[in-house]
Amino acid sequence: MSEREAPLLEFRDVDKAFDGKPVLSSMSLSVRRHERLFLVGTSGVGKSVAIRLLIGLLRVDAGELRFHGARIDELSEAALLPLRRKIGMVFQHSTLFDSMTVLDNVALPLRKHGGLGLAAARVAARERLAAVRMEQHAARMPAEISDGMRKRVAIARTLAMRPEVVLFDEPTTGLDPVSARHVDALIAELPATAGVTALVVSHDLISIRTVADRVALLYRGRIHALGTPAELAASPDPVVAQFLAGRSQGPMDTPGF
Amino acid sequence: MTALVTSLGRSVLALGRELGGLILLGARLLHALVTWRRGAPDARELWSALHRMGNRSVPIVLATALFAGGLMAIQAGTFVKKLGATGLAGWGAGYAVLREIGPILIGLMFSGRVGANTTAELATMTVTEQLDGLRALAIDPLRYLILPRVLAMTFMLVVLTVLGDLVALVGSSIVGYTVLGIEWSTMYFSFADNLAPADFLHGVTKSVAFGGAIALSSCHFGISVRGGAAGVGRAVNASVVSSAVAIVVLDFFLTYVTA
Amino acid sequence: MMPQADPSSAPGAPGPPDSRDPPGALSPRPTLLGRLREAVIAVGALTLAALRWPAQLAAVLADTAGGVVRRVTGRSRHRRGDVLVQLHLLGNRSLGFVLITLGFLGMVMAYQACLQLSRITGDTSQIGQQFLRLVTSDLAATLTGLMLATRVGAGIAAELGSMKVTEQLDALRMSGVLPIDYLVVPRVLASMVMTVVLSVLGGLAMFAAAGLTAKLSFQVNPTVFFDASSVTFTHLAVGLVKALSYGVAVPVVAAACGLTARGSSEGVGHATTSAVIGGSFAVLTLDLIWSIAAYLAFPGRL
Repeated sequence: MSEREAPLLEFRDVDKAFDGKPVLSSMSLSVRRHERLFLVGTSGVGKSVAIRLLIGLLRVDAGELRFHGARIDELSEAALLPLRRKIGMVFQHSTLFDSMTVLDNVALPLRKHGGLGLAAARVAARERLAAVRMEQHAARMPAEISDGMRKRVAIARTLAMRPEVVLFDEPTTGLDPVSARHVDALIAELPATAGVTALVVSHDLISIRTVADRVALLYRGRIHALGTPAELAASPDPVVAQFLAGRSQGPMDTPGF
Repeated sequence: MTALVTSLGRSVLALGRELGGLILLGARLLHALVTWRRGAPDARELWSALHRMGNRSVPIVLATALFAGGLMAIQAGTFVKKLGATGLAGWGAGYAVLREIGPILIGLMFSGRVGANTTAELATMTVTEQLDGLRALAIDPLRYLILPRVLAMTFMLVVLTVLGDLVALVGSSIVGYTVLGIEWSTMYFSFADNLAPADFLHGVTKSVAFGGAIALSSCHFGISVRGGAAGVGRAVNASVVSSAVAIVVLDFFLTYVTA
Repeated sequence: MMPQADPSSAPGAPGPPDSRDPPGALSPRPTLLGRLREAVIAVGALTLAALRWPAQLAAVLADTAGGVVRRVTGRSRHRRGDVLVQLHLLGNRSLGFVLITLGFLGMVMAYQACLQLSRITGDTSQIGQQFLRLVTSDLAATLTGLMLATRVGAGIAAELGSMKVTEQLDALRMSGVLPIDYLVVPRVLASMVMTVVLSVLGGLAMFAAAGLTAKLSFQVNPTVFFDASSVTFTHLAVGLVKALSYGVAVPVVAAACGLTARGSSEGVGHATTSAVIGGSFAVLTLDLIWSIAAYLAFPGRL
């Protein structure tokens, strides 16, 4: 991948504080087209905040966000709607609509954005579910299926909008190891099958090793280290080494301990 | 003393904040309604909201109306028996039911059933991030979730008030016959001779305002919920209380304006 | 299609979460026999739900009565002064609400009554007496009861419901304390006292607001309007009995809803909703029963 290519998504010196407590301070990061970039770090460090800023669920205090080189941090709520069709998000708890069947969850964006009627949207949604091997559960309610299944449905629902980028918030947290690897496999094939760029918030060391093209370590409000998994594994930096080894002993601040 | 002033000030501030939120939500809904071409209210959501609200509230509202009619007949009966003019019982009961008791009690029950349920539903969706989930799918929750519910609630309360008025008059007649010993026909003519369409319309006009107020406050408290399961309970509580206050205050003004 | 017990048939009956679209278009087209079977199942489920609710309510009522007995005989474990705390909370939470709502309703009712009377007879001299009798024997207690079902009922259900779903009630039981004695009995005792107190204050607010309206809009002389001479002990007794019975019913219904909450935020929302509607309906039902009973028991004296 050429280094000169314009970044698809960009954070430039972004600040974000809650109740006066800074979470992100001067964070900068560029996401390249068709890569799987993992944003990693300990809990509470602001990873989820960072990706929520991108689709306007939270607003930056200072700094710029760019998509295809254009500013997106100052868009109004109405102007954000078209942007969110291009930048999809899969939430940590999947956020399926629990008043609808699995099928209707996936059919909703098709109906709203694809210009399809209910029947046509359901047919298309069934294909989408087949792609994540959930078609046999189409008629069930979200409360009746497992966390891992819900996650796959959420991925299918987001992909139904045909986004350019998908943001994943801790996609494997809370899943059993087998379901987690299923989700990993879905994320891994995204650039090839759907032409989708993936920005993944995670602290799952297995996902990081097996799926990531590049890894960015968020620490004390900014990107502390950035590189391929192999580069980071070889890094002499004690913070990077402690995180990748999953040790409690080391220089990292762990709030609450 | 300072503590009293501080707590009073805090209450006034909180009241102002909620009122501001309500007015803002109302304005945004109105804007969404007039610009409906940019995103018409979702027909499926509207239909399912109407269906569920109707299912949920018709039995309780009709039972309430039946009781309310009976109660008013008892109160009117106590009075007319003294005057020896049983022909006026239907007038007294019907007048009170159509203009005041019917719309108010039906409104209160509707707020307790449908308004509270809507608050609980929206609050649960908010705390489980389903509203953010909608936003992330490029769907505006205001147009998709809230507008259909507000329209459905307002419409449904009007329908229920019309139905409830009729049922309440039946309730008056039943109690009139069984408890007060007033003949069915006496009661019927007492209604027919003394009640004007204006009395009926007066009550129905009120129900439009009550429905809008219940809808607005139940949605507002649902989407501005904070703090998990306990927060959902608090939101429902705030929603029904402010609906009740809105009903009596609106009733007062509408009585003066349309009397 | 899933047969669903419709909780609306039994006010406040905890049922399955009822905010779901049936997955209608997905299930195969039902046959006539299938539909019949569904109908039978639905009726059965409805009957069960309708029976379960009164049973639960009766159980909580009996438990509460038992709790009161245990308390009187000194065998219950509770915090010292808990009733006073609840009285304070209840009064604090509801006094302004009751005064405002009843005051406004008093104004409206006086206005409507005067309007009608001035159209028909023009004689407004009886209106104050008649209104005061109605307020004393019915409106003060019943409207206060309805407002408390909204304010206090929802509050109790939300509180107990969130304790239930976060397993705090189990924690209480594990430490040998009965949740009924510890949580429900003080609320019921406080509610009985407070409903009477608030009914009196609310009734006064109502009567005062009504008199003001009659004076300002229809020039009814306040000395004629504020005439309490026709209010008898019977009127007071009927009003008091009503207020006391609402004072028991509202917290008991709310407690039954809260104690049976399931799930998490959805369950608490459902419990709170059920408490409001169940409490309001209980007040109206009791009002009708007491009104008919009073009418039959004291012929011509009300």
